[in-house]
Amino acid sequence: MNRHTQSYPRFLWTALRLSTDGSARFYVWMFLLTAVALVGVNAWAHQVAQGMELTGMTDHVSWGLYIANFTFIVGLAAGAVMMVIPAYLYDDREMHDVVIVGELLAIASIIMCLLFVTVDMGRPDRFWHIMPGIGRFNWPISMLTWDVLVLNGYLLINLHVVGYLIYMRFLGRTPDKRWYLPFVFLSIVWAVSIHTVTAFLYSGLGGRPFWNSALLAPRFIVSAFIAGPAFVIVLLQLVSRLMRLPATPGAIRTLSRVLRITVLVNLFMLASELFTIFYGGGSHAASGTYLLFGLHGKNGLVGWIWAAIALNVLSAVLLHLPASRSSYRLLNLGCALAFVGVWIEKGMGLIVPGFIPSTLHEVVEYVPSLAEWKITAGIWAFGLMVLTVGLKLALPVLKGELSASKTGSHADAGSAAE
Amino acid sequence: MSYPPVINRPEKLTSVETPKKDALGRPIRVACVTCHSLRPDAPLPQSAGELREFHEGLRFTHGTLTCASCHVPGRVDQLSMADGRTIEMLDVIELCSQCHGQKRRAFDRGAHGGMMGYWDSSRGPKLRHNCVDCHDPHTPAFAGGQPVLRPNDRGLRQGGGH
Amino acid sequence: MDPKRRVTLKVLGATLGAGAFARALAPIWDWGKEQSLDEFLQKHYQELSKADLEQILRRLEAKTEKEYGKKVSIRDVRPQEGVEFGYALNLSVCIGCRRCAEACHIENNHDRSTNNSYIRVLEMKQGSLDLEHGNADYDHAVPAEGKFYLPVQCQQCDNAPCVDVCPVQATWKESDGIVVVDYNWCIGCRYCEAACPYHARRFNWKKPEIPADEVNPDQAYLSNRIRPQGVVEKCTFCLHRTREGKLPACLEACPTGARVFGNLLDPDSDIRWVLENKRVFILKEELGTRPRFFYFFDG
Repeated sequence: MNRHTQSYPRFLWTALRLSTDGSARFYVWMFLLTAVALVGVNAWAHQVAQGMELTGMTDHVSWGLYIANFTFIVGLAAGAVMMVIPAYLYDDREMHDVVIVGELLAIASIIMCLLFVTVDMGRPDRFWHIMPGIGRFNWPISMLTWDVLVLNGYLLINLHVVGYLIYMRFLGRTPDKRWYLPFVFLSIVWAVSIHTVTAFLYSGLGGRPFWNSALLAPRFIVSAFIAGPAFVIVLLQLVSRLMRLPATPGAIRTLSRVLRITVLVNLFMLASELFTIFYGGGSHAASGTYLLFGLHGKNGLVGWIWAAIALNVLSAVLLHLPASRSSYRLLNLGCALAFVGVWIEKGMGLIVPGFIPSTLHEVVEYVPSLAEWKITAGIWAFGLMVLTVGLKLALPVLKGELSASKTGSHADAGSAAE
Repeated sequence: MSYPPVINRPEKLTSVETPKKDALGRPIRVACVTCHSLRPDAPLPQSAGELREFHEGLRFTHGTLTCASCHVPGRVDQLSMADGRTIEMLDVIELCSQCHGQKRRAFDRGAHGGMMGYWDSSRGPKLRHNCVDCHDPHTPAFAGGQPVLRPNDRGLRQGGGH
Repeated sequence: MDPKRRVTLKVLGATLGAGAFARALAPIWDWGKEQSLDEFLQKHYQELSKADLEQILRRLEAKTEKEYGKKVSIRDVRPQEGVEFGYALNLSVCIGCRRCAEACHIENNHDRSTNNSYIRVLEMKQGSLDLEHGNADYDHAVPAEGKFYLPVQCQQCDNAPCVDVCPVQATWKESDGIVVVDYNWCIGCRYCEAACPYHARRFNWKKPEIPADEVNPDQAYLSNRIRPQGVVEKCTFCLHRTREGKLPACLEACPTGARVFGNLLDPDSDIRWVLENKRVFILKEELGTRPRFFYFFDG
């Protein structure tokens, strides 16, 4: 144990050095992200000081862009498990080599989720009220307390797995399976739980018929398994190109297979939901009517949802073209369309229409304000910073370029990989 | 200790408003008896339209009632009940109750007519409105009017926030 | 690159970044100066001792006087033994004049610019109770032909979804049935607003503005004291009045006597007479919220 008290600080110091070393391109990228993040920080500071009147939200539509992004990104975090499952459950060797990319994506995503919840709070200065043991934690009744637990739990599990693996490589030791395998398997179950709980946040509300559907949690999981793999497929190509690592066609093939199924299941579930809403009709169909066709002359979401449907259908078609199996360009296009399609469908297409019409059936529309867009962009930028730094840290280490025995003689090992 | 309800007895049961104002700007009221004791009593007309001098312009839309259904010739402070008895003008609620029994029962149980003051009779009385506070006995239908405090909350009349 | 130069550049970059970060956060520092440490550390209402509470009430009074220029009295009014409140509204006589909403606006120190009120009056199509046909933003003489009016405020549900969802127990049901909010504990997540089926909750999107001469100085901690920015508020059946035996402001203001209020546990109360003698109904009964607010028609 004593050895760790010396080697761990050294490990952290090396990590800091490594994460801040890179090429000009790396510095430009990080500088841009920092700039966007700072714009977000400033907008948030104004929002706290002046109040949430700076947002487009109202007492009618009391959640907007922040919670929409939160919901989507919980899915992104959960979707990363689509790398863990093949790697550990089905012993996919190639996936195993890059599974840490998924775990890092999960970490970055959860951090973004926590930030999105924070910026949605009217009184972030009272954050300690929601801390178990210190504040008054309404567990197990409030689904939001479950969300706090599962999200932070998922963050810790992934931090542990990733941190442990990197640290062991740093020490030049073989990781002890007892120290990480149980956590990997736990993370698989946990990934499903984070998105299930997030769906339960909404589906448990009897007063919101648009959300009050048993299909919501399955839909969330399926769309998470679109967003996650779609993002990772593109990310893996970027990583191998920018970090000069060998390509991982096997992993990408596996993820594409998952994607080809989930895009179809997602469309099927959307169709089932719409059938149930509209076949019977009546007032319960009001939100759906507003969303798809407009209601009482108001149609602010119609463009969004049809764009989402078009993107989802088009991506499903593209991903099923035989050419998408040989052309990364086509595959990437399909992934991008699917990613954006799900982002809209879950945000402006699901969170917002849950509030329109209001519980007293007033149709008050919602348009995100400039401050909301700034803050949202800032959080995305910060998430990408976390992911970039994480990848820089993880990849050279996992390639075995950096370990305790090599630190001294090989001081600049990290800078080879940007 | 229990406070009994206090039922309002509006001034209009014993006086009429004049166009003149007092020092505080309140209309000066003149007791009914001021005029009615000075002039000889005329027979009660059949309908409001027959009023040529005083009370002219009185609108009457209260079923098929006539003046004598309620008023007593020569007794401005009295009302005539259906069974021939007369009661004090101040007890007008009893007169109304002859026909509007359901409303009276609801009134007695706080379910008609509204109130102010205390729900808890051990702490204070209910201050009850009189029938004629809200209903003009000659045109009793409640008038209505322009509503107040139109909602102006965020987003109500446009697409979003700022 | 020379490693030494690289380190220097990194330190420089980090310093610049930290400086920019602090600069970006400047509005928060300014806002923070107005917040007191006592308020930041204040415990949940139900954990406060009598002495704590006394101190907090005086602090809030001083703060209100400083910020709104009016001397007010803020009390802590507890529920009475043997009392559970109920409210009924006669839809046959309501004319939609919104006097109740206005009385609420004044009594409860609502923000003036938004005409905020805990009561929303819907103009409904005669012959239908479908809220889909309602409109709260009417602006013509009332009652209008072919319409009836449905005022909606907090239904003080016995099984309140808003209470269940609150992650920090900032809102709860008191022994007399009133659902209250500790405005100094609420974190402003607005989950309760999403959960409430009756649009009964309001969020303070900004600091409420009320001219000094319009502030109602008779205030209570759990009800009508001026709410802070960024927290949720709701109707409390005017508990600062009703827990002292008085009638709620909206009832007193009603020109048609449509509103009936009282103690559900007292068999001789007005509200019990209505429940036993009128055919009452509750809004959205199918949701299982068990409101303490009832509606009825005459006859």
